Formats: sequence, C-alpha cells, structure tokens
Amino acid sequence: MRWRYILYIVGILVLFLGLTMAFPLMVVMIYQDQDPGPLIGAMVATVLFGATMAIGFKSPRTEYISPREGMAIVAVGWTAVGLFGALPFFLGCSQFTFVDAFFESVSGFTTTGSSILTQIEAVPRGLLFWRSFIQWLGGMGIIVLSVAILPFLGVGGMQLYKAEVPSPVVDKLKPRIRDTAMIMWKVYALISLAEVVLLLLGGMSLYDALCHTFTTMPTGGFSTKNASVAHFDSVYIDGVITVFMILAGINFSLHYQLLRGKTLAFWRDSECRFFLVTVLALTLVVSWNIHGAVYKGIGEALRYGAFQVASIVTTTGYATADYEQWPAMAQLILLLCMFLGASAGSTGGGMKCLRIMLCFKFCYKELFGLIHPHAVTHIKIGGKTVSEDVMRSILGFLALYMGLFAFCSVLLAGLGVDFVTAFSAVAATIGNIGPGFGMVGPVENFAQIPVLGKWLLIWCMLLGRLEIYTVIILLVPEFWRK
Amino acid sequence: MKVVIVGAGEVGFHIASHLAYENKDVVVIDRNPDAIRRITENIDVQVINGSGSSPMVLEEAGIRDAEILLAVTNSDETNLVACMMANLISPSTKKLARIRQADYDRYHENFRHNAPHIDTIINPEVEVVKTIESLLSVPGAVDVGEFANGRVKFVGVRLDRDAGLHGGRLSELSSRIGKQAPLIAAVVRDEELIIPRGTDRLMEGDLVYFISEEDKLSDALQVFNKRSRQLKRALIVGGGRIGFRLATRLELKNIHTKIVEKNPLRCKELAENLNKTVVLHGDGSDQGLLNEENIRDMDAVITLTNDEETNILVSLLAKRLGGRKTITKISKFSYFPLMTTIGLERVVSPRLSAINTILQHIRRGKVLSAISIKGEKAEVMEAIALETSDIVNRPLKQVSFPKGALLTGIIRQDAVFIPSGESIVLPGDRIIIFAQRQAIPKIEKILSVKLEYF
Repeated sequence: MRWRYILYIVGILVLFLGLTMAFPLMVVMIYQDQDPGPLIGAMVATVLFGATMAIGFKSPRTEYISPREGMAIVAVGWTAVGLFGALPFFLGCSQFTFVDAFFESVSGFTTTGSSILTQIEAVPRGLLFWRSFIQWLGGMGIIVLSVAILPFLGVGGMQLYKAEVPSPVVDKLKPRIRDTAMIMWKVYALISLAEVVLLLLGGMSLYDALCHTFTTMPTGGFSTKNASVAHFDSVYIDGVITVFMILAGINFSLHYQLLRGKTLAFWRDSECRFFLVTVLALTLVVSWNIHGAVYKGIGEALRYGAFQVASIVTTTGYATADYEQWPAMAQLILLLCMFLGASAGSTGGGMKCLRIMLCFKFCYKELFGLIHPHAVTHIKIGGKTVSEDVMRSILGFLALYMGLFAFCSVLLAGLGVDFVTAFSAVAATIGNIGPGFGMVGPVENFAQIPVLGKWLLIWCMLLGRLEIYTVIILLVPEFWRK
Repeated sequence: MKVVIVGAGEVGFHIASHLAYENKDVVVIDRNPDAIRRITENIDVQVINGSGSSPMVLEEAGIRDAEILLAVTNSDETNLVACMMANLISPSTKKLARIRQADYDRYHENFRHNAPHIDTIINPEVEVVKTIESLLSVPGAVDVGEFANGRVKFVGVRLDRDAGLHGGRLSELSSRIGKQAPLIAAVVRDEELIIPRGTDRLMEGDLVYFISEEDKLSDALQVFNKRSRQLKRALIVGGGRIGFRLATRLELKNIHTKIVEKNPLRCKELAENLNKTVVLHGDGSDQGLLNEENIRDMDAVITLTNDEETNILVSLLAKRLGGRKTITKISKFSYFPLMTTIGLERVVSPRLSAINTILQHIRRGKVLSAISIKGEKAEVMEAIALETSDIVNRPLKQVSFPKGALLTGIIRQDAVFIPSGESIVLPGDRIIIFAQRQAIPKIEKILSVKLEYF
C-alpha cells in the first residue's frame, strides 16, 4: 500500500472538486440572493487543501495500481469529497449543523437524495444548485470523470473504475479505460441535455430544469421545492421525468449502443428487458391497487403509480404523492422496489436487477440439480455463461447487503428510532433511494434522526453507492496487513 | 492506431502491454479465461474471450478498422486461420503471424503473396538462433543487436574492474583511453536504465550499451578489456528445434560442436541429420557426463532444453565446472531480472525475439528494425529519416528531441558516424535512436510524416 500515492490522488480529486464550485458561484452571481463570501471561502479552502495534498504527497506516475490501492483511493476519495462538498452548506446556510451538512453532501454525491432540510425553498439558490450539481457529479462517478479527463491515471485507471462503477462486471466499450470513461460521461451529458430541453418546453425555468435534470439523470432525487416534483403539478413534467428516470436506470453502455444505431439494443439485453418488464408490471399492479382507493380516475392512478414506481425502483426518490396514504400492497411493493434497484451499469442504486436475476437463475439451477443430479448446467445470461467467480461475488454481495441492512437497522432502532423508520431509513440510504417510510416518508425528512444515526446513515449511503465491497473491505483487518 | 492481438500468452501479453503503454487501442482475443483475466488485471486493453480464428469474434474485436492483426497463439494453424479470416473480412489490415513449424518454412513466400496475405511471418526460433550466433561472435557481450544489415552493432557489455574505466566521467573517456571512444548509449545500473550525459560517471559492474561499426567492433571491445578469442568448441544441451538449427549453423562455421539430448529417438534423428556434430545421449545436468566431455575446455555452453529450470541449473553447473561462456534459454519473463543476480548474463528467449520482430513492424514511420533491451524499459530503433520529418536538414541541437531519447548513430550511404550537436541529418539517412519507453510515442511522431504533407 503506497499511502503517499493514494493521498496524492485523493488530493487531486479534492482540488478538482474545489474547481467545480465555480458553478454554484456563478448561480450566486446571477441571482444575487446570497452573500458569495462563504461560497468563495469554501472554494478557496477546498482548492488550497487539495493542492497542498497533491503537492505535498506528489508521487511519480506509476503504471500499476493494485486492486487494494484502487479500493483505498476510491473509498478515501469519496469520503474526502463528501467532506469538502459539505463546506458550502456548512458555511453558507444557518440551517446546517456540521453533521447535517456532511449528511446532505454525502446524500448528494451518492445520489441518495435523503435530505435534512425542512424548508428547502428558504435555502439560497446557489446552494440548492450545488446540492443538485453534486448529485450529477456523483451519478456517473467522480472517479470515472477523473479517469476520463486526467491523463495521469493511465493503466491504473482500470482498478479505480472497477471500484466505483456499480456493476458486477465492467463493460469495456473501448480498448482504453480512459476512452470508455469518456464515452460514459458523454452519453450521460447528452441525455441530460435532452432532458433539460424537454423540461424547458414544459414551462420550467432554466434554473429548475437544470437542477431537476441534475438530480434525475443520476437517479438522485433532490428537488429545489419543498413539495418535490409535485410542486409543478403538470402531467407533462411528470411524464418527462418518469421517462428519464427509467432511462437513467438502464445500463449506459446500452444507451451508447442505441446512439450508435443499434435500435434493438434495449430489447436484446436480458437485464434491460427484465428491468423494463418489471417496471411496467409493478406500475400496473400499483395503479390498480391505488385506483379507487386514493385516485378516482384511471389516468390519475396511472400517472402517480408510474411516477412513484419509477422513482423508487430506479432509486431516484422524487415524490409526487404521499405514498404513505396508499393501500398496504402498494406500499409494500414500493418497499421491495427499494431493494430491487435499477440495472447494473446505470446510475441507479439498490441490489441491481442483474444480481437479482442471476440469483433467481442460481436458485433454479439448484432445484434443477435436485431433479437431475447428474446434469451439467451453467448459468447463462444473454447466451453467455456467467463464470463461477462472478456468481460467487454476486451471492456474496447479496448476503452482505442483507446482513448490513439488518445490522444497521437494528443499530438505528437502538438509537431510539421507531420500527418502520429505522427499517426504511436504512433501506432508503443503503439503496441510495432517498425517502423511506414513517418519520422519513416522502413528505418528511431526515432532520429528526439522532446525530449518531445520521453518521450511521452517511456510512450506509457510501456503502450503497460503492457497492459494499469497496467500503466494507477497509474494515477487514487483512486489508491493513502488509 | 488499433491493433488486434490473437493469443494472450507471453508474447501476446508483452506486446499488448508495450502497445497499451504507448496509448494505442489494443484488443486481445484468447480462448482461455485465465489468460484473459491476467490481461484485464494488468493492462489497459479490451479483451474478448473467444477463439481468434472465428470470424464472428474477429468482427466483434473490430477487425474492420484495425490497422494490424497479430496472430501469436501457440498453434500455427490457429494463427493461419485467423489471418485468413481477417484477410476475407478486412483485406487492408496488416497481418503478422507467428509460425514456428519448420515444415512451413518453404511456404512463407506463398503465404505472403497468396491467399492469407500475411505481411510478416515471425519464426522466433530462427531469430533466437541468430541472437545466439551474434552473442557467440562478440566477445564479452551480454546483449547484441544488429542494424543496417549487420554493419552496425549495438552491444551491451559488463564493465569489469580490470578495464580501468570506472569512476571516470564520460566526457573524459576519450582522453583517458587515448583514442576516439565508442558512443555509450545507455547504462543499466541496479536494474535502472540511465541515458548518460557527459558528466555522468561509469561504475564497476555497470551494464554498458554502445554502438559501433562492425569493423571497429574489436577496437571498441578492447576499450572495455574484452578481447576476442576464437570460438572453437561448443556444447549444446537440448536437441530440440532450436538446438538442431544452431548445430547446423555452427557446423557451417567449422566449430567443433557437441549436442546432448535426453530422448534416444531424437538422438537418432539428430545423428542422421547432422554430419560433423557429435550427438550425445544423456542428461545435460549429469555432472559425470559433462566432465567426461571436457566441459572445462568448451568455449561456449548453450542450454536449450524445453525446461527452463533445467537450463538455468545446467548453465550454472557448466560455469562451475569451468565452461567459459554460457547462453541460457529462458521463456518466463519473470525470471529475467533474476538472471544477473545468479550470474547468468547471456540469456535468450524465443518470445523476446518474437516481440522484437513484431515491434519493428508496428512502429510508425519508416522504422527498419527495433530491439527492446533488458526488461523492456527501452528500445533501439533504426529508421529512415524522411524528407518530411522534423529532424532533417537542421543541426541536431535545434531539434527538440524528447527527454529519454538519444540519437546514437547516422548511417549515410556506407559511412556510419556518431552525431554531435552540429551534425545534420539528411533525408534518406538511416538513423539509430535509443529511446526509453515513455519517449517512444514522441519519437514515432518525429519519425513519421508531418500531417500537412497529406
């Protein structure tokens, strides 16, 4: 473990984050609704700190980063970025205590969307912009972005990329990891642009359109309004956001293929097919369940049903309705959606459809083996055999996910939080969704969680975004042995 | 530039890492998932798990927009079929194949002009035999490369104490020895490669690389206190394909050769096909046999069995028993750094030879040959200076040469000279450049044609 080198890279990441603070500063300059002093202070502090680290730990360019070092860079890097991303909140607005600012910032970068803000609209626009913008950065990944634009990472970029991208297997679209990362970001930016234009056509202001795009595409879920997307109360906007949430929940390499003219790309991919069919089926069931009970018209039931299912299953976490008023079945389906999550290689969180699908296939294979004890079977996906290694890592992941979920919810309940809240708050943060049930439901927020609970949930969000292994491995004693 | 490599063995792996380091787009195809995993964990290239001879896999690898296809699997047949399919799908792709069986030797020209249109056929065994021959012919050399059809030699020697050169600055070298000193291109010290300046000093135990014309080579070697002695007797351990090829070459040079082979059937074959060589049946690691055959009088012992551990042990044994020069065949690259430590300096590797041959065909611009030296940290290239290149027609001190690269020789018509800051490279000259790995992409840019000429 070359700690010097790890800290050097982390320093560069922090420096880089500091530079992006110029964007909210521009917003402050335009709207003039806030003293730019604190924001400038945060930016200067971040840039200076990053630069000092990068210069202080300056290391020669290396060709090789070991998997261990890669994970350390990503885990430490994300924590550092979360910490410095909190500075503008902490300095710029009196609503934030330190832990609240850190919570909000990590919730942003990990694209969770859980908030501690009670009065969102009271926060200056520059800060709200920063809150949305960090979700956009975190969605495709700050490390992926650095791999794409910082040439010095070279070959080692692969290890970092693997540690950050939420997928059991990495699709390399181009021979070089740098080009692959670049393509991912370009596709991401292009779809974001399309959403901004469509939202503008729906009558949103440029500011709101940008902020909501920055939180839809990474499946983040922060809104600039107290009432979230319900504030706009427009069928068109609900529709556009629903479609883009689903798009963001699809593997981005499929978007790339689609853009290159392979029109059937979505349908040919078995995970994507599974995801789309599931979303459609759950939407129909939920809409049927809430039709009559909450909403009179079929159209209305479909509108809110589809939006809420898409919002939860892709782990975005916007709300257009208080789903806690819905019948139990609809609520349970939404709760299960929190675990299901979006596709691998998308910006969404959760366990990911691919893993669930493979888990089902694995169970079927076991049953099949009981019936035909001599059968030689392979688990296949899209006609290709899934290797034992991948399968093992997936089963390990699912076990760890459920284990950590159970452990953290018991811990949170131990801090005096009620049953439903403890259960759903952990599910909502570890799955990077945002709102849960009970005290942290769609019309409430995380302000009431005790301070220690907030630290726990911050850790859960990082766990979820970096797909467990990268974070949890730091706690394994073997990792620290020389 | 996109390169598709079929076969992720040692050769495929090392070529891929070379090229990836130079920021080329590389796609590697192999059937073995373990080989594929080794690549993904170490090199930034795209990998495809599949058979390289399958047209579907080749298409998936993007053969249509690939500039070069390298077929370097262990199977000659797979390599041929891969080239054939690539020729059908994408005729413009340049094809290089490794073909080892001697049976194909006569058909190399056919492969080039007819169906598969393989641009270059690499037979590493032939290359290895060439390398062994030059190592045998240059006294004291631990590494030898040839340029300009052998007229210029690139030699690495170990600096001994009795040469009396250690401690002096390079700029004082000529005055110290009283005549023009050979140009020292690089020094390897403690596994680190240094491109020396005039103020650098040589140290005892350095591996010194220099460039010299062939007819001045013995003078140059004398500077390093390496005197030539005629090679009269050689012992080859291992009568495989390389051993046989080498024995036939040595017979032609009237060198008294003995060859030891374990397999009695193979011994018979060798005895039938070789005329003057003494074929011995036995185990090369048998001390009794080596003593019986007067190993202490051998000028050279060459170990070429298929088992590298045996080769290493036999070479060490031969050294201990008094053999003068040993040449050891090694395939595993991870052993290379260890060889100097255990005292075996002269090492050949069919795979390294294959890599060298492939490299010279991949280099952009008019590169005639390229040799990668110890540990692959640097390369020596011979190239033709094009009229359109940046380096011609002005004094060298005005040329912005990348860091870590050195122009070590200019060959104009028949003359070879060592350049100074005032020298001017003319279009059509052949130049020899020594470059560290990170400087290679820039060198390629300098050597290739400027864009505005298209």
